[in-house]
Formats: sequence, structure tokens, C-alpha cells
Amino acid sequence: MATTTNYGWTTPDDTALVKDGASAIRTLGTSVDTTTKNLNPSTTLGDIEYRSSTANTNTRLGIGSTGDILTVTAGVPAWAAPAAGGQTTITTGSVPTNAATFTISSIPSTYNDLILVIDDIQYTADEGLRLRMNGITTSTYNSFFITTNSNTISSSLAADNAYAQYLRNASDLRNIWFFPRYSQTGAAKTGYAVGTEVIPFGGFANKSITAAINSITIFNNGGNFTAGTYTLIGVK
Amino acid sequence: MTKPMITIHNAETDEIITREMNNSEYTQYQKDKTNAEAEKAENEAKVTQKAALLDRLGITEAEAKLLLG
Repeated sequence: MATTTNYGWTTPDDTALVKDGASAIRTLGTSVDTTTKNLNPSTTLGDIEYRSSTANTNTRLGIGSTGDILTVTAGVPAWAAPAAGGQTTITTGSVPTNAATFTISSIPSTYNDLILVIDDIQYTADEGLRLRMNGITTSTYNSFFITTNSNTISSSLAADNAYAQYLRNASDLRNIWFFPRYSQTGAAKTGYAVGTEVIPFGGFANKSITAAINSITIFNNGGNFTAGTYTLIGVK
Repeated sequence: MTKPMITIHNAETDEIITREMNNSEYTQYQKDKTNAEAEKAENEAKVTQKAALLDRLGITEAEAKLLLG
């Protein structure tokens, strides 16, 4: 009997009898069905396959848990939780150019720390960038910053505001805000901000927020944003 | 009157909604704006008062820092 080049499926010879055609087609169909299933063993949403040690037979890998990363274990792919200290991009986006306020909501509490990277944010009028956690608007935010401009250095403090401030100077093209232990409940929430040009260091705290931070609202009292991007990163 | 827009990015689903501020958000927005203007005016007044005081004392800012240092 003749066979196909790649998968060795049995096909009728040129001299085979017509009366044996149905049987030959059935045999070929069964072979195709078996090979296809061996190459595509998926059964469930999110499954992926990889080549096994047997030729033309793939192994099914079921989807991992939320936050898992694809790694290699004993020479084959496997899902695994990120190692401690690993960073995962939770979400990223462009600062809305038709809005005066934007909120990142439903922040998962599965990480230890948060990092929010803001690149080249601009607004119609610079009245400073402000921040709220969990939508809390009570006058319980304390902020400070240290600024270096030309050859001078100065600092400012602001207590009992309805927002954290001193997070960014208009000359700072990149700002990175850290929220250590943001998911810890029962503890006050603090953070610090690092800029690239004028505000090398600032910080904020709100002792009345003891729940995990699940939303961060950023706004500017001068008007709408006009440019910028943001990336929220979770740290294990 | 048209209220300012607000954008909400759901980090779990990646859904982004941009809509007009609701009444409570708009009230807070106006309150923040008033506070920011008052804060700015207060800071500007402090700078003016400082300059006037230095002028009355007849010393420069650097000399004042030296005295306080």
C-alpha cells in the first residue's frame, strides 16, 4: 500500500480495486483524524500545545493561574508564578487628551508593591499634578518634595490636603511613583515620587487609608491633559 | 453647561471609559480648583511678604539665610 510523505497515511495503490474504495477512504480518514487530534490535543479555553518527544504528537498545556508566567521546567514549557521581586506590567495606556482627570481602577491586590511610570505628561495649563488613592477626597494627604533648580535646592511641605501633590514639575519628562506595600490592609498608605529634571524626590502619605489601594486618580487643576503615557507595574 | 470629561481605565479588564463627570465628581473638581487657586494665591502672597520684609530689614535673601543658618 502507498503512504503519504509526511504522516505516512495509507492510500490506495494505482492498481487497487474500486470495490475497496470505501474502505480505503475510511482508513485514510481515520488516520487524518488521529494525526490532527495528536497535533491539536486542546480541550479547554486557554490551552496551548508544544511538541512532545514523540514525532507528530503534541502535548496539551492547560492555562495557568492569573499572573503566571510561561517558563521552562525539565525541558518543556510550564506556567509558574513569578519569582519574588519579579515585575509584571498590569496595564499601560495613553493619558486621555480630552479629560481633566483619569483613574486607573480595579487594581489587583496580588502584588506587594506598585510602580506607576508616567512619561511626558502635558496639560493645557500647568497647575501641578495631583493624585488620590481609592477616590478618598478628605483632607488627609500630606506631601513634601525636594527641588533642585539651577544651583539652588529647596523643599516644601503641604499638610492635610484633599490630594497628594508636588509629584511633578513641568520639566520632568519622566516620573516614577512608588507605592510600597499598597495591598497591605490595616496600614497607612505612603508613596514617593522620582522625577528626571527638577523634582528629584517627593513623598506623600495618607494615614486614614488603611485598605489596599485599588484605584489611583490623577488630575491637574489647570485643564485637560494634552499628552503622555502611563504604565502600571506590579512587583512581587 | 458641559462638564469636564473623566477617563477610567479598568486595570483588570483593560476597558477604558471616557465620560462626562457626574455631579459629585464635578463638585469635587470645582472644589479642587478653588483650593488650588487659593493655595497659589497664598504662596504668591508669601513671596511678596518675604520680599517686603527683606526690604524693610535692608538685607538680601542670601544674608537672611546666613542669619538663620
